[in-house]
Amino acid sequence: MSVEVLAPMPGKILDVLVKVGDQVGEDDELVILEAMKMENPVYSTADGVVKEIRVKKDDTVDADQVLVVLD
Amino acid sequence: MRQYFEKMDDLGKPLKPAQVERMKENRAQIEAVMQSIDAEVDRVKKAGIPAEKIRERGQMTVWDRIEYLVDPGTFCPLHTLYNPMDNEEGMTGVIDGLARISGKWCVLIGFDNKVMAGAWIGGQADNNLRVTDMAKILNLPLVWIVNCSGVKLPEQEKVYANRRGNGTTFFRHAELEQIGVPILAGIYGTNPAGGGYQGISPTILLAHKDANIAVGGGGIVSGMSPKGGFDEAGAEQIIDSTRHFKEVPPGSVGIHHDYTGFFRQVFETEKGVLDGLKAYMAEMPAYNPRFFRVAPPAEPKYPPAEISSIVAFNQKGGYDFDSVLARLVDNSEHLEFRTGFGPEVYTGLVKVDGYLLGAIGNRQGLFPNYPEYTNEYTAIGGKLYRQGLIKMNEFVTQCDRDRIPIIWFQDTSGIDVGDTAEKAELLGLGQSLIYSIEATKVPMALVVLRKGTAAAHYVMGGPTANNHNAFTLGTATTEIYVMHGETAAVASFSRRLVKEKESGRPLTPIIDKMNELAREYNEKSRPFYCAKTGFVDEVVRFEAIRNYLVAFANAVYQNPRSICPQHHMMLPRLIRSQIVKGLERPPKQE
Repeated sequence: MSVEVLAPMPGKILDVLVKVGDQVGEDDELVILEAMKMENPVYSTADGVVKEIRVKKDDTVDADQVLVVLD
Repeated sequence: MRQYFEKMDDLGKPLKPAQVERMKENRAQIEAVMQSIDAEVDRVKKAGIPAEKIRERGQMTVWDRIEYLVDPGTFCPLHTLYNPMDNEEGMTGVIDGLARISGKWCVLIGFDNKVMAGAWIGGQADNNLRVTDMAKILNLPLVWIVNCSGVKLPEQEKVYANRRGNGTTFFRHAELEQIGVPILAGIYGTNPAGGGYQGISPTILLAHKDANIAVGGGGIVSGMSPKGGFDEAGAEQIIDSTRHFKEVPPGSVGIHHDYTGFFRQVFETEKGVLDGLKAYMAEMPAYNPRFFRVAPPAEPKYPPAEISSIVAFNQKGGYDFDSVLARLVDNSEHLEFRTGFGPEVYTGLVKVDGYLLGAIGNRQGLFPNYPEYTNEYTAIGGKLYRQGLIKMNEFVTQCDRDRIPIIWFQDTSGIDVGDTAEKAELLGLGQSLIYSIEATKVPMALVVLRKGTAAAHYVMGGPTANNHNAFTLGTATTEIYVMHGETAAVASFSRRLVKEKESGRPLTPIIDKMNELAREYNEKSRPFYCAKTGFVDEVVRFEAIRNYLVAFANAVYQNPRSICPQHHMMLPRLIRSQIVKGLERPPKQE
């Protein structure tokens, strides 16, 4: 079953910390999102393997936009 | 109450290998700041004449005396870099901190006898007042190592007079004694005038055989009648008098032990005086720790040194505050108060060395669907909103009711602003928190983990809470200012920019001024500046914070003025009732 990790609020992607195929655990940092002048880690919401990364550095994202898909 | 305290809820998370790797540069930046702080501390330790010269005279330096006096590993230095008047020595002439002597905690302060034989120098008065405040707040004995040559005469205008001058210390000593806080003094060397009062104002005076305390020293006694100038005959008279008083200084042990009896005891050796202080400290009133401990002491489950891999050196970087707190408290356990309400603030009960403390801190990160009073924007960690302010007011008040001392952790960019925030009563709720703190009787301490900004620095148990804040610690990542430098530059020059633009004049001179102001803000908010000016009482490594918390916990529970029996505490029950509904009514008997 796939799990989508969403942007908690609008912002800019400062860094993507994982790559497709990486094994991640719940609470692992996946991307750094700049929002409200702060740089915030976005955490994995489940254990799994990174199936898809839908953003890249410097992308602007909306709230609830899918950032990473886990398998 | 074992069910509440022996096993609390798990707090924080283990570090992930990827996080440890990603924070490598972060740790290096933190260590670089601490090495610069270490260099300043080393400079303070070497201030004045070399330690070897003191030892060649058969004397001990203040550092030697502290090392001999204090139970090993318990000294938590404070104010080491405090130097608000920019003395060339880089300090205020006294060394102080929390310390345990003969198993009892105290506030310890000693004159640095390498620096002008322990003279009163600029900033010392305020240093002393911070120390007496601490003894009062913590209800701890104050121990002085007196070796004070009195006013540094060429700079008397900096130390002698004024409302908060060096003489204020003696009134504070009287105040402490009147509220039942004893003051011990181990007295060495020549202590004339101000030094004499440093010697006489404590409660118990123990003297070295060569010590003296006097209203005035030989230098004053031999020149007390001004004649409008100096001539050769006068100079000869001064020489004769000085020779005499050098041999027999006023107020020696022959006077103040054998005649007045001011000195309780006189000791042949320097160490003997310290042994005397140890003996008195052993007799200080103190509860056995078991009286107040709620569980056996335990180290945090996660090492405190890992905090350097959590707190972002980059001031914009988010991190998990709960994981920081987990590395400072016993067994990394807690009972959180009002989970989910006011999520930008942590409030909860923790154990430190087996003692119960309240902990309050700013959480970082993003808080979607919050604050509840607006949809115009979303909450960001470090800022304070309505629920967070209400929750802190409640928690502080409940801690007071249960007599639980509080540790604050600040990393705050301020209270939410704008008309929406005003309608949400945030200005009033901030001041309400000040009112709540002032209404309590519990001691508090503060760690400025990163930012201390705007009124939030006041309301979150800041050093401005004079009657409650015992001490404030800074770290390598501490920054304290009214607002960020760039924000201040915009506030100061935005109208001017508009004016210049409308007049068709070049903007560069204004932009240069804005950059200059932002740079100045940065310089004047960094850890060393904060320590030097007294915004914080000491800058410490993250892994050392735990030692100070242990000292604080032991200090506040050593001999508290007011007690709440554990089985009468409400906070643990309030917290548990958030989750557990309470006991079911027993079924009716048929």
